[in-house]
Amino acid sequence: MTTRRLVRIAIAVLAVGVAAWVLVGPRLRPHVFHGVVMQSGTPAPAIDLEATSGGRAGLDSFGGKLVVVYFGYTHCPDVCPTTLSSLNKALDLMGNGADDVQVVMVTVDPERDTVEYLADYMTYFDESFIGLTGPIEDISRIATAYGVYFAADEGDIASGYTVAHNASLMVIGRDGHLRLILPPELTADQIADDLRYLR
Amino acid sequence: MLIEQAPPVEPIRPRHRRRLVIAAGAFAVLVTAGVMAFTILEPIQVLPRIRLAPGFALTDQTGATVTSEDLRGSVVLYTFTYGGCTEPCDAPESTMAEIAERIGEVDLGETEMRFVTLSFDPARDDPDALAARAQKFGADGHTWTYATAAEDQVRNIIGTGFKTWFEDRGDGTFSFDPTLILVDGWGIIRGEYRYQTLADDADRILRHIGILGEELRNSHGPNSLAYEAAHFFLCYP
Repeated sequence: MTTRRLVRIAIAVLAVGVAAWVLVGPRLRPHVFHGVVMQSGTPAPAIDLEATSGGRAGLDSFGGKLVVVYFGYTHCPDVCPTTLSSLNKALDLMGNGADDVQVVMVTVDPERDTVEYLADYMTYFDESFIGLTGPIEDISRIATAYGVYFAADEGDIASGYTVAHNASLMVIGRDGHLRLILPPELTADQIADDLRYLR
Repeated sequence: MLIEQAPPVEPIRPRHRRRLVIAAGAFAVLVTAGVMAFTILEPIQVLPRIRLAPGFALTDQTGATVTSEDLRGSVVLYTFTYGGCTEPCDAPESTMAEIAERIGEVDLGETEMRFVTLSFDPARDDPDALAARAQKFGADGHTWTYATAAEDQVRNIIGTGFKTWFEDRGDGTFSFDPTLILVDGWGIIRGEYRYQTLADDADRILRHIGILGEELRNSHGPNSLAYEAAHFFLCYP
């Protein structure tokens, strides 16, 4: 074999290698999650609350979809609307894949968040979003189990008050296990990227 | 109409086919060997992400409120007790004291290490009682906090959330499962120590805190792939 032929073969191999890297590489690269991956062996804490979609709802009420659980409230001045808007945008970015995802917000302010009020609020962000409410004791028990602490500031309905709460998103897989925790600072692109991979 | 006929596809010669099969086989063997080596040799160890720690609001030994949100971002070791608990029932707190004293042996980078001892007897353990017990074990109130929750919340937080069993015997004493629980800055339980092993508990937990520290310091950028692989292949100590 001549040197010239060897050089040609080397160039050809290099070209094929570069082309493969560019075309196939991204597909072979493992997905790097933006959120924190959980491998919990136990099912996610049960939820059984009144839903804006009608009747009571739990994690198994959403037809085998990925369930994104968020704890928030309708009078929330900043973080809740931002998070729900990001989720709406993330679902838009997912296209048809969004049909496999169900976003639910458990209110941490059941006193003001009636089913009707919650339904209007959720629909404002996305028609598919579902709000969940119930007695404060039930919500407190569920929130505790999800690692969420919340507390209302001093005040009443007339004077208004805010509720401090954790703003992470919890993603529950089809098997009912907690799969991912999405911190509030993630962008819609990053949320969509992780949900797209999990669905 | 002119129909262009596609050039005949040249079949792969047997010699080339054999080379392709050998190359694919070698690649598969290489990948399998790599996965096996990673799984068996465990070049990186991680602590499992077991489940979420509960959210809570507690009252500490100074009467101040401590919430799970205040502890977010720190690695926290929890233990559970009640003020009237005497030797040998206070073994988990003695282990905690040893770990707190030796915590400088592990490198957590910039992550803060906190210790929390939770009382399941809020009726008797008011801030003064908690402060007295904290003093006995050298808890400074910041790095190591003694606290309890409202009576209607204790069972929800300790029993349901931390899955630690306790029962009031009705005579001022409690039966309980001596437990230490390690939680990371995300609020995820990474270690549960409910029984004695051949290794000393303090040594074992310190080693685990070191493993967690290594993950916290290194699992950024491309390195995160290696740490996620370690989680995937269950490379647990």
